[in-house]
Amino acid sequence: MSEISSPYIEYKDVQVEYPGHVTGLRDVSLRIQKGDFVFFVGKTGAGKSTLIKLLTREVRHTSGLVRFQSRDLAKIREREVSALRREMGIVPQDFALLPRKRVWENVAYAMRAVGHSRSAVRRKVPEILDHVNIGHRADAFPDQLSGGEQQRVAIARALINNPPLLIADEPTGNLDPDHSWEIMELLKSLNLKGTTVLVASHDMMVIHRMGRRIVTLEGGTIIDDTDNPRIEPTEVIPVA
Amino acid sequence: MTFAAVSTVAVSLFLLGGLGYSYMRAVEYAHSIPGKFDMRVYVLPGTDQATISKTAEDIRQIPGVASVSWIPRDKAWAKEVHDDPANTAGLDNPFPDGFKVTIKSLNLGDAVADQIGQLKVIDPDPGVVYLKEEQHLIDDGLQVMRWLGVVIAGLLFLTSGVLIFNAIRLTITHRRREIRIMQLVGASRFTVRVPFLIEGVVQGILGGCFAALMLFGAQHVFQNFLMTLASRTQLSAFPALGAVLILSGVGGVYGLLCSWLALSSLNTIQ
Repeated sequence: MSEISSPYIEYKDVQVEYPGHVTGLRDVSLRIQKGDFVFFVGKTGAGKSTLIKLLTREVRHTSGLVRFQSRDLAKIREREVSALRREMGIVPQDFALLPRKRVWENVAYAMRAVGHSRSAVRRKVPEILDHVNIGHRADAFPDQLSGGEQQRVAIARALINNPPLLIADEPTGNLDPDHSWEIMELLKSLNLKGTTVLVASHDMMVIHRMGRRIVTLEGGTIIDDTDNPRIEPTEVIPVA
Repeated sequence: MTFAAVSTVAVSLFLLGGLGYSYMRAVEYAHSIPGKFDMRVYVLPGTDQATISKTAEDIRQIPGVASVSWIPRDKAWAKEVHDDPANTAGLDNPFPDGFKVTIKSLNLGDAVADQIGQLKVIDPDPGVVYLKEEQHLIDDGLQVMRWLGVVIAGLLFLTSGVLIFNAIRLTITHRRREIRIMQLVGASRFTVRVPFLIEGVVQGILGGCFAALMLFGAQHVFQNFLMTLASRTQLSAFPALGAVLILSGVGGVYGLLCSWLALSSLNTIQ
């Protein structure tokens, strides 16, 4: 009952207008339960990134209601946004790694920025890197890594706060199919451990193979919301 | 950009502090010159003691008067004979009775003289005697220093502010990836902003320290210049610690303010 009445994430009649009367979202309503794995799909400009940025408070809605863990995000003050973001892991499309820092340093830098002690950093960084299967490249610099490995580092960094929600914007946008599938498998394993995962993507082949909920957007509106449309395993997609 | 910001803060604080320091020294020097702040006020012959006392009190009440003392003609003449016996030998005392009035500020000389001149017991000739031209000259000089300080140093101070602002903005641009990562992982606004605020404060403090150093050097050069003129004028000791503390403090606060303004665009993820 409580699951239905109080979803983990809720968008209700959400409207987003960017400066210059550009519509980001129009009358979007959506409910996401804890532990869900949801793909937001659509063409460029469809509104999938806006949907994600509303949660991270990079974008503010013009009207409607956006709730995360029953909290109205419109009422969160600017100085509370950092605490909100510590409750979610954010994986940007471009990885956003520091090129002059090694893999472990990239994760350590983020941990230090949110106030973890040096001893906690020393203890946790190897654990996190192993968790996303990149521990063996801890001393490499980002330019020595493949796209898939760089994305793993970005995911590792997003996990430093043990977030119950992981948000990934086009995580496979710069990857070949093999690496894309690796990343999706990783996200799936995190989801199986209880993390709610939201992914904005247009990589339809991988998305369909994952067999999870797909929310399709077009022109800032949800045109389809389908659960578990898993394709048959006979349709071959290369696996790394 | 950082070097430009620090050096401009240094030059502007040097001018501001230097002119302020020179102004204080000039006022101090003017006070030390005998007679510059003094007036002689002569009363009509035969004025009785009660009127003299009342007049002294009236003069004391005039705004800008620091002190009033009565100098009888016999006492004035005795001093003159003592100071210059060769030229006073055999002469009768030409001095009338009068007051010695000391004023608080050079620019009040004319106003004080006018008000004293209106008192009935004041002898119209010679009346109030003071170094009018010299007072005007010194006062004009001090005013020029005041205006130079306000205009030139003020403009430079403003320029240095713009340079600190731009230096911080450049640093923000240069470090936008780090900032973005910090914002993504939920670092507090304080954590994200502190390095830039510190940078602005350090630039301001460095500028202030350099300004104090330049001021110290300028004082040293000026003292040497006075010595080459065989002048016996000795500048008072330079307050090095005070200058460093005041100028670096002003620079630090200014740097903090400019960097705070430069950080106003950091609310959103870069």
